[in-house]
Amino acid sequence: MTKKKVRVSRSRNSAPSQSENGKAPKSPERLRRRATAESMAAGQRDISVSEFFAKNRHLLGFDNPRKALLTTVKEAVDNALDACEEAGILPEIWVHIQRTTNGNGQDRYKVGVQDNGPGIVAKQIPLIFGKLLYGSKFHRLRMSRGQQGIGISAAGMYGLLTTGKPVKIMSKVSVRTPAHYYEIQIDTKRNLPEIINGRGEGVDIPPGQKGAATIEKHGIEWIEQDHGTRVTIELEAKYQRGRGSVDEYLEQTAIANPHVTIHYEDPEGNKRDYSRVAEVLPPEPKEIKPHPYGVELGRLVGMLKETKEPTITQFLVKSFSRVSPSVARRICEEAGVSNRSSTKRIGREEADMVYQAIQKTKISNPATDCICPIGEELILKGLHQVVPGEFFAAATRPPSVYRGNPFQIEVGLAYGGTSTAHRVTRETLCELIDQTDARTLRQFLSMTFDGIGPDAADKIIKEARMRTRISPGKLKAKDIDHLLDAMQNVNLDDGQTMNVLRYANRVPLQFQAGGCAITQTIMQTNWRAYGLNQARNQLPRGPITVMVHMASVWVPFTSESKEAVASYPEIQKELRLGLQAVGRKLGMFLRRRRRVKHEGERRNMFLRYLGEVAGAVSEINGIDKQTIYDQLLLVARRKTAEADVKLDDRGRVVDEDEAEFGANVLIVDPEDVNEQLLARAKASGGDPETDEQKKLF
Amino acid sequence: MAKKTVRRKKMAAAPAAKKPRGPMSPRDQRTMDQLAGLAESVIVAADKRRDPHMDIPTRALSNVRFNSAKRFIEMGNKTNRRHLFNLSQAKSFMQTMLVASGTKQLIEQDKTTSIRGLYYLLKHSIEGTKEETFADQGECDPVIEDTEVLLSALREELHLYAQKKGDMVGELILEDRGDEIDCSRMGSGGYGIPSIVEPDVIRFKKCNAKFVLHVEKDTVWQRFNEDKFWRTHNCILTHGGGQPPRGVRRLLHRLHTELKLPIYCLLDNDPWGYYIYSVIKQGSINLAFESQRMAIPDAKYLGLRSIDLERCGLSESVKINLNDTDRKRAKQIANYPWFAKKKAWQKEIKQMLDNGFKLEVEALISRDISYVTEEYTPARLSEQDWLD
Repeated sequence: MTKKKVRVSRSRNSAPSQSENGKAPKSPERLRRRATAESMAAGQRDISVSEFFAKNRHLLGFDNPRKALLTTVKEAVDNALDACEEAGILPEIWVHIQRTTNGNGQDRYKVGVQDNGPGIVAKQIPLIFGKLLYGSKFHRLRMSRGQQGIGISAAGMYGLLTTGKPVKIMSKVSVRTPAHYYEIQIDTKRNLPEIINGRGEGVDIPPGQKGAATIEKHGIEWIEQDHGTRVTIELEAKYQRGRGSVDEYLEQTAIANPHVTIHYEDPEGNKRDYSRVAEVLPPEPKEIKPHPYGVELGRLVGMLKETKEPTITQFLVKSFSRVSPSVARRICEEAGVSNRSSTKRIGREEADMVYQAIQKTKISNPATDCICPIGEELILKGLHQVVPGEFFAAATRPPSVYRGNPFQIEVGLAYGGTSTAHRVTRETLCELIDQTDARTLRQFLSMTFDGIGPDAADKIIKEARMRTRISPGKLKAKDIDHLLDAMQNVNLDDGQTMNVLRYANRVPLQFQAGGCAITQTIMQTNWRAYGLNQARNQLPRGPITVMVHMASVWVPFTSESKEAVASYPEIQKELRLGLQAVGRKLGMFLRRRRRVKHEGERRNMFLRYLGEVAGAVSEINGIDKQTIYDQLLLVARRKTAEADVKLDDRGRVVDEDEAEFGANVLIVDPEDVNEQLLARAKASGGDPETDEQKKLF
Repeated sequence: MAKKTVRRKKMAAAPAAKKPRGPMSPRDQRTMDQLAGLAESVIVAADKRRDPHMDIPTRALSNVRFNSAKRFIEMGNKTNRRHLFNLSQAKSFMQTMLVASGTKQLIEQDKTTSIRGLYYLLKHSIEGTKEETFADQGECDPVIEDTEVLLSALREELHLYAQKKGDMVGELILEDRGDEIDCSRMGSGGYGIPSIVEPDVIRFKKCNAKFVLHVEKDTVWQRFNEDKFWRTHNCILTHGGGQPPRGVRRLLHRLHTELKLPIYCLLDNDPWGYYIYSVIKQGSINLAFESQRMAIPDAKYLGLRSIDLERCGLSESVKINLNDTDRKRAKQIANYPWFAKKKAWQKEIKQMLDNGFKLEVEALISRDISYVTEEYTPARLSEQDWLD
């Protein structure tokens, strides 16, 4: 930053010297200097990282109050999960968002996130929470949620900027030591933490009654644990449900992290628990050395400067993965550098030569065992837990490599969301109507049922011949019958588009869907081949949810706020293959379902006409109608029984074996979907608000 | 068989059998036997646990043959098998059985109805569904024709008639169900040709006419009638409202065969007009089984001709451009075996295609209102200038 300014001022200074070189100045004003190099130098100074991000908060995901709340929760939860997993503890997370009162009528929220992780050593707490770009994850290549070490400190800084309240951290390392409590402010000028309480030392919180009183006094909470950390940040924010909300984030996190339990209490006091479905931690990801292909020239120069290895060969072998002495020798030969030349003597030019040589040398791909995918089985479990549907499929691709970074793609798919609206029983519907606080019927429909958007809701209301703005509470029993009829008759499948859940290293990505390689690849995939409707380069239509997980030691995000994955061709290819794998299974399922439906129609059609034919025959010949009908019915049974076996798209005999789908497919009886819906309504404790959460899926 | 049917019938559907009729005519008896046979085939198949089917003679160009000796179209012996237990045929099988049962009721009660009437008689929603037996009359009509060919019974034998279309005036006295009708005293409206014109309905009493002039449409026919063309030229004047219905064709056939009157046609100069002529002359593809008693191989095509725009000095604005369907249709007609070998016709159709326009008979009015009756037609007749 500083450098840039200096260069700008130089070019200005050089303007007059140009005119001396023969080019006549056009006006005398050009000659007058506005400032001298010396006076400008006075204004040129260091910019601290904290200051830079304080001014450019949108780069970190604090564009607006609503997103600020989400980002804060997200950073805290991500850190908590990383810490627990690294320590080998099954994570349990408590999230509590409270509205706090303030004089100006601004919206302020207090976010408290606690984990059951290993805790943080008291000495490190201020640096982790009060210094930007401080962390353990940046300098290593290992699959983790956080990368740069900006997130949580940036959230604390944002809170401080908007409310003036410090970040409050309480951490307990073990049963034997007392919990430690800090209140931290970030000094934006120096990018250093400033501890407010306990004269810059923080305070220990004694266990038992006395400690509880202290906790209470400081306006924080603590759920009794042997070890863990709780961070509390108060910030100016806005709480809102729907797309891009905290609720959505937590729900999506639960899908991709089936080993996590989350307890969530929202500002309105609704509690929701996501219990873990897997009792095993994902295997610990291994740290790897960078692969030569993934290193840029600047980085290479930097590494050369830092290294302690005496020769270039040793440097290459020790700092990179997949570089054996023979590979190193080939690189040196290609670069025209002696393989025993000292690393200290390698200048910029030689470094460039080495860099070029690396690109030209064939080096095997990095080891891919450093990545821990969620796994097909757990994806199915996670999806089924949260998304209602009839058909689930999952596929985990083998690991692959982009720019020297190993990565792995996983895809999960759930089909059959409309079933909730189509199969809801009258009792369930009444219950749901009772519970809702939606003001209009349209709102009720689109909030309660998966896959019903405003368009589909309008269709239903039109079919039921009701007014759009009627309050659901005012519906009479007869109206409910009409509504139920309409819901079952209207074809909603085309009214909804695929719901895409994107994940990078198990973290949900909620924004910039359009700019993300995942969404783009889904749109470019031909879903029509799998029996879905899809306009060209659009998301397919239908009651379908797709989750895509990219696991990598270094996820290429398009920006610091980590919202979209960049489109590398290697990544897109793996995405496509993964999507096609689940797509094929969906296609099989849909074809079979269509066939069953078709056969049913076929039998029905014969049965429908048999009565007429029997009637006509009896009219002409006087034979008893029932006799001939019964006889024809026998023929019909035999004929359609043949059809049951015969009918396949390709005319083959169909084998009604589940195995045909292959592994990792889950088919749910449609009737269960209804129960699922009701169970959810009940789980929300009779509070209608949580119904809206379902809508996210 | 019939007797038994009537008895059982009373039990099955009481209101339909209120009026017992007198003894059945041999013709009706034959049709009843045919119907009974059709129903019997279903019973037998059901009894043997087989898929009931019926073999319906194919009504398509592929199943007609031009008999060059008799000079009309005959039906071949290809049939289409219609199954009850076939998804695409189940409904039409059911419909065919319904039409059969409907005509059985008509014969039993000795009533005649229009095909539209039969459609209403049979139309009801299928039990337990919202589906109608027949969605519209367009669905019913082909099934009736199927039933005709299936039972090899004529429409009147099924006690059905089509909508009346076509009128007649001229020097002819006939008897229609006992009423004597003088076709030279019909005023401006003319005698409406009924759908059934068999000898038991219409008998010719006296005829002074020397020929029959058949025109395409009502409007042209009115022109000729107002100018009393039939009186000055001593002829019978008919029209068929476009494609002539069976009644008109049958009547023309009877006038030609029984009274030995030559038939001249004055039709539009377009593929549609050519096809009307072809139907009158050789019989239609659809009703090829009736050609024997409908086709008039000696009928002549008087006009309009492709050369008439120049020959009669008509104004350019009467031209109607040919569209793609017209061109396609014209080429089809040129390839019909009964046109293929006639050089004059090939030349005529080629000329029309080259012209790129068609002419309606009314176009002659652009010369003079009565040009068609006073100059055009008399000139063609006296010069014997027609196409055969």
